[in-house]
Amino acid sequence: MLMCRDLAGIASDYIDGELGTTQKLSVKMHLMMCKDCRSFIGNLRASTDLMRAHSSGKPDPELIRRIDERVAEALQTRDSHDSKNE
Amino acid sequence: MKTAELEGHEEALITGLQAGNEADFQQAVRLYTPGMLAVARFYLDHANAEEVVQDCWVSVIGAIQKFEGRSGLKTWLHRIVANRCKNKLRSNKKEVATDFSATLDPELADRFNASGRWAVPPKLQFHDSADALMENDALSDCLDKHLSFLPETQRSALMLYEAHQHKSEDVCNILDVSTSNLRVLLHRARQRIFLMVETFQETGEC
Ligand SMILES: [Zn+2]
Repeated sequence: MLMCRDLAGIASDYIDGELGTTQKLSVKMHLMMCKDCRSFIGNLRASTDLMRAHSSGKPDPELIRRIDERVAEALQTRDSHDSKNE
Repeated sequence: MKTAELEGHEEALITGLQAGNEADFQQAVRLYTPGMLAVARFYLDHANAEEVVQDCWVSVIGAIQKFEGRSGLKTWLHRIVANRCKNKLRSNKKEVATDFSATLDPELADRFNASGRWAVPPKLQFHDSADALMENDALSDCLDKHLSFLPETQRSALMLYEAHQHKSEDVCNILDVSTSNLRVLLHRARQRIFLMVETFQETGEC
């Protein structure tokens, strides 16, 4: 018999569809009877959506500026190198 | 955006990069740097991760000529970052240690009674969509803060899988973890986020 604690341990696998048929079935049976676990699965799913909606972390604008600079520099060196070889 | 449109867009971008078009590089840098940083942070501290990502972009100028598009640009870039990080770690002789034995977050594990039933059930209520919730700046800041508290391994796994929408096979490849270990990392990270949002909603504090 699957207990709430066991279910909490495999909740992400259930959400992501990574469980085998037998385990998936016992999770579904448990969820039918247990309001708290339904709430937990819903909460975990919502937290995951929230995480997804949260921007994937905006990098430091200063870092982006430095990368632009270094890329521009490297492109120029390459171009002048190419023209010398022609 | 539809997948086909995205693919067309990526193809055009790759052609631009191969031609050495600076504007296309700027666009790609803005598009892909967040994901590349997430990969690098799995292995390295903040400063070293930023350095590796910078170096990667410079190396992409040459390497993109040989890009064949089999894996998709994002996955290709993330692999370059992962390989550079691994080389750097090798030279620093630093190990990445992770404990994969516990699938439950300790704080969550305490919320069950001896018979394995919920003693302190989840209290979170979601009335609004995730997008609406993210308009709450305080919650957004709190999420940022807690993401930065997550162990690097958990955060990178979560970032790549959720925020950058990689398939688990790719995440395992990039981070060099087994499928079962990735499952643990993802689950642990999600529990932290859940606990954070629950506390925030209950107390209004981060
Ligand atoms: Zn239950």
